[in-house]
Amino acid sequence: MSALLERLERHRWVWSALGVLILWAILSATTGRFSLHSLSGVAVSASFLTLVALGQMLVVTTGRGNIDLSIASVLTLSAYAGIIVAAGADARLPLALVAVVGIGLVTGAVNAVLVVLFRIPAIIATLATGYILATGTLIANRWAAGFSMSPFLKTLAAGRIEGVPVILIIALVAVALVGLLLRRTVYGRRLSAVGQNERAAALAGIHTGRVVASAFLASATLAAVTGMLLGAYVGGAFLEMGQPYLLQSLGAVVLGGSLIFGGSSTALGTLCGAFLLILIVTTMQIAGLPAGTQDIVQGLVVIAVLALAGGRAVSRRRALSPAAQPAEAAKP
Amino acid sequence: MTAAYPAAQGAPAKAAGASAPHLRLAATGAHPDAPVARLTGICKAFGPTRANDGIDLVVAPGEVLGLVGGNGAGKSTLMRILCGVTRADAGSIEIRGISIETDIYDTTLAQTGGIRIVHQELSLCDNLSVAENFFLEAPEGARAAPGWRRLYRERARAALDEVFPGHGIAVDARIGHLQIGQRQMVEIVRAVTAPQVRLVILDEPTSSLGLERSRQLRAFIKARAAAGLSFIFISHKLQEVVDIAHRVLVLRNGRTAWSGPAAQASVAALVNAMGGPTEGAMQGRRAARAGIAEDAVEVVRLSGDIVVPLGRDVVLRAGEVVGLAGLEGSGQRELLHRLFDRPRGGISRKGGASFVSGDRQKEGVFPLWSVLSNIALGRLEGRAPLGLVHERTEREAARGAAEKLKLDPDRFDSPILDLSGGNQQKALVARALVGDAGTILFDDPTRGVDVAAKEDFYALIGQLSRGDGARPGRLVVWHSTEDIEFLECDRVLVFSGGCIVRELVGPEITEQAIVDASFAGAGALERDGTAGARGLADWLVDLAPFASLAAVFALMAWVNPLTVSMFGLELLLGPAIALVLVALAQMFVVGGSEIDLGVGAFAGLVNVLSATLLVDTPWLGVLALVAGVLAYGLIGATIQLRRIPAIVVTLGASFIWIGIGYTLQPTPGGAAPEWLSAAFAWTIAEVPATLILIAVAGLVALAIDRSPLGVVLRGFGNNAQAMTLGGWSPLRYAVVRYMVASLFALAAGLSLTAINTASDVNAGGPFTLISVAAVVMGGCALIGGMISPLGVVAGALTLALVGALLGALSVSTDYNAAVQGCLLLAMLVLRAFAERREARR
Repeated sequence: MSALLERLERHRWVWSALGVLILWAILSATTGRFSLHSLSGVAVSASFLTLVALGQMLVVTTGRGNIDLSIASVLTLSAYAGIIVAAGADARLPLALVAVVGIGLVTGAVNAVLVVLFRIPAIIATLATGYILATGTLIANRWAAGFSMSPFLKTLAAGRIEGVPVILIIALVAVALVGLLLRRTVYGRRLSAVGQNERAAALAGIHTGRVVASAFLASATLAAVTGMLLGAYVGGAFLEMGQPYLLQSLGAVVLGGSLIFGGSSTALGTLCGAFLLILIVTTMQIAGLPAGTQDIVQGLVVIAVLALAGGRAVSRRRALSPAAQPAEAAKP
Repeated sequence: MTAAYPAAQGAPAKAAGASAPHLRLAATGAHPDAPVARLTGICKAFGPTRANDGIDLVVAPGEVLGLVGGNGAGKSTLMRILCGVTRADAGSIEIRGISIETDIYDTTLAQTGGIRIVHQELSLCDNLSVAENFFLEAPEGARAAPGWRRLYRERARAALDEVFPGHGIAVDARIGHLQIGQRQMVEIVRAVTAPQVRLVILDEPTSSLGLERSRQLRAFIKARAAAGLSFIFISHKLQEVVDIAHRVLVLRNGRTAWSGPAAQASVAALVNAMGGPTEGAMQGRRAARAGIAEDAVEVVRLSGDIVVPLGRDVVLRAGEVVGLAGLEGSGQRELLHRLFDRPRGGISRKGGASFVSGDRQKEGVFPLWSVLSNIALGRLEGRAPLGLVHERTEREAARGAAEKLKLDPDRFDSPILDLSGGNQQKALVARALVGDAGTILFDDPTRGVDVAAKEDFYALIGQLSRGDGARPGRLVVWHSTEDIEFLECDRVLVFSGGCIVRELVGPEITEQAIVDASFAGAGALERDGTAGARGLADWLVDLAPFASLAAVFALMAWVNPLTVSMFGLELLLGPAIALVLVALAQMFVVGGSEIDLGVGAFAGLVNVLSATLLVDTPWLGVLALVAGVLAYGLIGATIQLRRIPAIVVTLGASFIWIGIGYTLQPTPGGAAPEWLSAAFAWTIAEVPATLILIAVAGLVALAIDRSPLGVVLRGFGNNAQAMTLGGWSPLRYAVVRYMVASLFALAAGLSLTAINTASDVNAGGPFTLISVAAVVMGGCALIGGMISPLGVVAGALTLALVGALLGALSVSTDYNAAVQGCLLLAMLVLRAFAERREARR
């Protein structure tokens, strides 16, 4: 029994995966029309969310309550930039990609400098950069005349191979790569170490600044690329486009079982968390709940999951850490 | 708002949820002759470690009990149990003759029982003044009236004068501005002069006091004990213990090793009972080590300021074990860290360095990882980020290191926190061994480690430094708080006042020689008699928000002279009232070192509620608003109880606020209740209501902040652990903090309705960022504990004026967000620079 609990503790993504299965089963049973096809619609939305949430997850992993609040603006601005620069031509796509990745890298770099060099809390630094970019989207909104898409981009975002959405494949590959990065590489170890105990990590010879900076760079870049793809998928860009991804990216990370205080994250969990969250939203839409209620439910879900997961972390700490308590209390 | 005050008024409120023993303890003179505390058969295990194993401890009234034992003997655990911080697994607790179940014995009961503990790291809030810290100890005398501090100022001054005549500490000085020795003095004085105190536990009270202060303290303890106060005196300085104690209790590996009258104890006998290393054994081990080769490589060279008293450079070579000694805080630890970080400024180091800290919780272990991962991290240094890690090779490397350390490889897969302190420390040393650094830096490595593990560690030091056939010798630099450990070293550098004052080599190293050298320059510790006085720079920082407000206002007046008229002022500043109120709400949350991302949305929701429900069905509207305030309290409770980040909870809450507002009113509209519009539409001597209300809001916030309640809230923002240990309820004050914030946000929402005479749930959203910006511009510290209500009002007004200024300069409103964001960042970056300069100074 305790071995089982331990396994569950180590593979926290299982909970969200279970959630997805149960919710899907209930939906299929009650509506009778919730088929594999409708699930692929959910899969597309979840794939976009997964891409953004993977970046958010890396930032969360760095610990100290780090969160990237600028992703909503980065995503919106990139969607505009992708459309404006590509101007509907495949030939200009590389240029658009450069512009979009540039937006991500510059934002990420600014965030990283503010957080690492100036020691400004990540929430405030990214909140502020997000606001500055919001002005950028207002200006881009005036520039964006037509909404013609580059065909290739359209295929990437909305195409299917054998009925499987291309974007889902992209998301799965990204999940696999990030998962590998976290579990099997030197970088993954360093990231986890920094998130668990930054001071100990620095004393163990890790350049903590570089590790934290890389997470912010990755987060902003992933949000930027997702923004471009999302723009291609919905066939345009609009001002509030990135807004839902702020809470949802965090929700996916938390639902997936990554620790909000950092140090331990799971890419697979984030994928499951994204699916679960999108399923909940879809369920509410099918049930015909008004938009306001949907907001309320999403907010409640995130708080409830955190409150429960927070409790788990606390009880675990209580069970284990007293071994070290005398040391903590020992006075020189 | 005054209704919130009584919460801070006195012990009965402080100790909410009082149980029966609490009441009996509070009743005076329960059993005057009964022991102040009697612990019997106390057991406490942490995982595999039996920290306390059937210990008995009795303290009679007027008795000084000396408690000694090496690091890891169980003293700290026993004291934590006595103070109610840690719960005993077995045994019984009797306080002043009243037996209390170990299950319900907690910090509040210990406080009521008159038990106080002093250890220098935990119990003061360094953002508060000396007098305010005295208030936290004895809140009974405080009333929510101006001038309440006077009582505590006098009390603090009288108490300091009594214990440490000529202390030179200003009672209005912030603790953070005092030197470490002075803090320790405040801490000791506060505990021993607390009104209800019966038993004071002094944990290493003299570790950073000079000779004279230490003598004053001991004289005071003797006088107080004669008057009936009891003490537990814990010290590594055994001579002090023998001098001052009536009885001595010696602990060793969690058990009582010896207990008896101090008259029968001698330093030698105590050392023997502690079972730790003896001078002879340690010196013998050093003598048995091979000599250092003549041609050993120079690894570290110390020159510049740090060696001024010596007048020559100090060179450390491979193969040496070098100790860093001195009174605590004399510069040993700084040197260790400078050696580890990029060495510069007169200090040079060749090759890599590993750092092993004895403060395992903060500086050593990665709590989520297994033992193996914790060790293997040492191998990653210098590797490419995308390089793959293989568990098998890691296991092999770790096994080698673990064998040298007598750490069982079978435990590699256990979570690191399941290990005892000694084994955790072994894992950390193993981490240093699997790397290949030429220098190993130890920072008090035997802290909280049992005797056997210590022996293993000492034995390893020789092998580690001199090297063996397989690998060359390493330089070991060792900082310890136990002077006896320096006898293991080949060389000891003794620090005083940040410099090396003596170098002891080989046979010169004795405990006495180290102590003598440490005190040689100890006068320097208190050299700054004016410590705590505010400098000009502090005043400038405080004035910055008002100066920037004046500057922007002048600019505005220059662009448009109409600004200076009363009409112009109302037009410009009137709408800012909502922002001022939201910023004040945010300020209280920031004061607790949290950030509320939902405060703007909450103001927006109140805007909707007051323009719809409050107009149509007033009683329902009022009910909804009250529910909103309660919900905020619930948010505070959730964050505190579940220990989850405020950011995520308040972000989630912001969606809930907006969702509710949107459901109530999908499109902007509604109307303001008449009484509400009227409340914002009067004038006094031609000064419009909004301007007066802005001033009132600032003053109310100031009154709260300066009240006893405000002091408690700031105390929690700075040092929640100390507050909890002092018997204050973190839950209650988290709820109070969020409810105070919600009241200001509520007022903001109402003002929006009154001024716009309509509502829009999205109206509040932008306020979240601007409120944070205003709080930062107002001079509050984002790490909590430092708030300045009037500064925040000035900051909010400045930001509002900046918006108007942009308008006057005909800049598109599209740029407002960017300008505000840039201002906030510029402010924070400037402050970071200022802090860096401060730190350098």
